[in-house]
Amino acid sequence: MIFDSCDAFRAANFAAKVCILGSGPAGTTIARKLGAAGIPVVVLEAGSREFSDESQDFYRGTTVGDFYFDLDVTRLRFMGGSSNHWAGWCRVLDKQDFEPKAWAPDTGWPIRRADIEPFLPEVHDILELPGFRPDVPVSDDIRWVQLIKSPAVRFGEKFADELDKSRNVAVVLNTYATELAGDGKRVTGARLWSNGQDAGAFNADYFIVCTGGLENSRLLLWSNQRSNGGVVPNAAALGRYWMEHPTFEGGNAILADYGEFEVDAVNEAFFSPTPAAMERLQIMNFGIRLIETPYPGVKSLIADLACTAPDMAEWMSAKLSQNLRCAAQLYVAWEQAPLASNRIELSTTDVDHAGVPRIELHWKKSKLEHRTLLEGLRLFGKTLIEKNLGRVRIADWIANGGDYPTNDETAGHHHMGGTRMGTDVTKSVVDANCKVHGMDNLYVGGSSVFCTSGECNPTTTITALACRLGDHLAKVVAV
Amino acid sequence: MSFFIKRISRRTIVQALIALPALSLFRTLPNADPAHADPHRAGPTPANPNEIVEVNGWILKRSDLA
Repeated sequence: MIFDSCDAFRAANFAAKVCILGSGPAGTTIARKLGAAGIPVVVLEAGSREFSDESQDFYRGTTVGDFYFDLDVTRLRFMGGSSNHWAGWCRVLDKQDFEPKAWAPDTGWPIRRADIEPFLPEVHDILELPGFRPDVPVSDDIRWVQLIKSPAVRFGEKFADELDKSRNVAVVLNTYATELAGDGKRVTGARLWSNGQDAGAFNADYFIVCTGGLENSRLLLWSNQRSNGGVVPNAAALGRYWMEHPTFEGGNAILADYGEFEVDAVNEAFFSPTPAAMERLQIMNFGIRLIETPYPGVKSLIADLACTAPDMAEWMSAKLSQNLRCAAQLYVAWEQAPLASNRIELSTTDVDHAGVPRIELHWKKSKLEHRTLLEGLRLFGKTLIEKNLGRVRIADWIANGGDYPTNDETAGHHHMGGTRMGTDVTKSVVDANCKVHGMDNLYVGGSSVFCTSGECNPTTTITALACRLGDHLAKVVAV
Repeated sequence: MSFFIKRISRRTIVQALIALPALSLFRTLPNADPAHADPHRAGPTPANPNEIVEVNGWILKRSDLA
């Protein structure tokens, strides 16, 4: 069932045991799992079926620190959430991403990759993915990794009919919770806002917050403030350890044969460090994306090389006359070290139309990350030399320790952390089952529970975690 | 400075400055005869052509360089 307003939903007298906030990949996946288990669920979606400026305006906010995207542009507030603009790149976090890194504080998850692997077949169905191929070692330091370009499933479009016909799932559009109330043990209710006005109180046995990697923290911070700590009793880490995947053009490569690497449908190939290389150099995970360079770019690259290594440039020039596909841009996306200082705060000066404080995002890249970027490119360059595959040129600003450019990709629009998973209540918000520490009926879904970000796009892992949480809740709620 | 100048003539200072560039010749003398070279002092070694070097941002083999 899909309702366009809270009034229409109330008129239907649908008795929900579980209330899910948000209809993105996490919320929709959990709702479908619970619905399939015969558990009545209501999904509150703040937006409608389509994009609207009015809805997006609720997402405006400010950023303090490094340059970042406008907060009302980097995510979407309508049915299906940010799946409406994701590019479709899929890969699950690596096994080593779940393990602690001795050289990076506050890394490591309370679960392992093996805990989500049983759900990958479901994830492949949901995201319409073929099977992943294993990584291929290129050298002791570098491995070829596969990122699958999926059809970029729009969850709102794909599952609208199924949800509309469901007897156990009610989706209520244009409706969301401005705050949750709690007594330090349980969420005791929610204050709803629907179609531009207050829609009264609402209650359910369980609440699952799936409003996205920025909004989850905002809702819980505001709710906790209003409830004097009654919603997140252990709030030291709430909003903290926020992470992105910084992404910048790191340089170029000239390749003896572009066909040496397996590329995807859009002629791109991906490389990451081996766990041994990360440990030896004490760096974070990263992904180097090899993109074929347009012809004028190749010429200027060879001209640059001629100033330093004329023989090599002459050889490249000869290759150029035979084969134009012999150079590549190198884009690097990397894992941020989880830092408590990277955080979401509530604005003290600015509120949205419902009176909820807007987000003030504090985000800064660390020195470890710059070293990861530089050492990562060096590892890749060394590998190309060792294997006689080509040569790498590192961008000047990286080699010289300059500032990050503001006209580059900047980041992946991947919002992670803020309600991270863990066992230490001073450094995490939810436990290994995504339940808020100290609360009996409050759970969190989505990438805000990520402890570390790995190097790959998060949607596959988000969906796998949502399948796992859905299964867990089906057992808990059925009792 | 004035203390220094009082004890050493300006002519001596000028002579010392003229002699400075020649000091490097004496510095390399022990290595001139391999038989008397200090085994603990590494002399210039032939460059390894496979050594990886970074020049102008390029990651290259030494043998790539002209």
